[in-house]
Amino acid sequence: MSGGPTEPGGGPEKAPAEGDLSARLKRLETQLEGKRPKAASGEAARTGTSGGSAPLGQAMRLSTEFIAGVIAGGILGYIADHLLGTKPWGMIVLLMLGFVTGIYNVMRISGFSGNKAGKDRR
Amino acid sequence: MAVSIDPIHQFELQPLVSLGHIGNQQLAFTQSALYMFAAVGIIALLTIVATSGRAVVPGRLQALAETLYEFIADTVHQATGADGKRFLPLVFSLFMFVLILNLLGMIPYAFAVTSHLIVTFGLALVVILTVVIYGVAKHGTHFLGVFVPSGVPKPLLLIMVPIEIVSFLSRPISLSVRLFANILAGHIALKIFAFFVVQLLVAGAWGVLSPLPLALTIALTALEFLVAALQAYVFATLTAVYLADALHPGH
Repeated sequence: MSGGPTEPGGGPEKAPAEGDLSARLKRLETQLEGKRPKAASGEAARTGTSGGSAPLGQAMRLSTEFIAGVIAGGILGYIADHLLGTKPWGMIVLLMLGFVTGIYNVMRISGFSGNKAGKDRR
Repeated sequence: MAVSIDPIHQFELQPLVSLGHIGNQQLAFTQSALYMFAAVGIIALLTIVATSGRAVVPGRLQALAETLYEFIADTVHQATGADGKRFLPLVFSLFMFVLILNLLGMIPYAFAVTSHLIVTFGLALVVILTVVIYGVAKHGTHFLGVFVPSGVPKPLLLIMVPIEIVSFLSRPISLSVRLFANILAGHIALKIFAFFVVQLLVAGAWGVLSPLPLALTIALTALEFLVAALQAYVFATLTAVYLADALHPGH
């Protein structure tokens, strides 16, 4: 905190002192950055959550992710049937696919996905 | 006799100023739009006016604004890495908009804008369109790598790619449905339990039970404040996570 003593000096002194402070903060941040990614981009970034409210936020996500998968499949099936005239089949196949996607979404968020190398950062 | 109260009534749109008609559909400035403008006003007040002092030792409002900003900056940084900084304005705006609208909806007799699916779906579309447009503009056809999970054997890709495509299309749905359903269900539950108090009170001797739903209503109110903040946070986090796909498709 060597910037402290210059601070009460008044208007002209203040600006360079602040610039100096932000420069030092930036330097400190880049130093910290070298150490941070290994710790942070693991679990926290993968599940897309961090901090204290993570478990609750995650719980809120799971159910809607599953439902959204089924709904997306249903909408796609409806559109496919409408455009291609494949009346029941588009809906049947894509609804099943949507169901699979919903389960896959939930597995990926909760970390049960088998492939650790896969892109499971969602 | 108990009065009947419609718990859905609070979500009805009331046109304030009519702007004309398109076909049979009335085009109007509703109270929903009014609340959105109010939210933007509050956010502008909070972020621009509160930080205009630029005090080294922040006052209360400035500390609040700075805490919110750093919170979102941290979230964006963790999800997208260093080059995600350019999306910070978008994520911060979305977070503040959702947060303020959720909290405004918690004021008694106020209208909860985020309880309308079309509003949250509009916000989710902004996110997904940003992901798609930015991803295609930056990476071209490489952006399609988002649909190909790595480390998967070739034959399995036949199944995985369609799943990934449906999964991608389900994102705006899950993003919007989550927010809308939480706020809608919370407000309906609050209304119903609060109405139980009245019903018990007018039912003679049953009135001795009325403190029970009252306590539940109070507890639910606290929970709803938590949900209001948490849903805004989840919305911002997921926005950042999806934007990370636009920055680095295919891993």
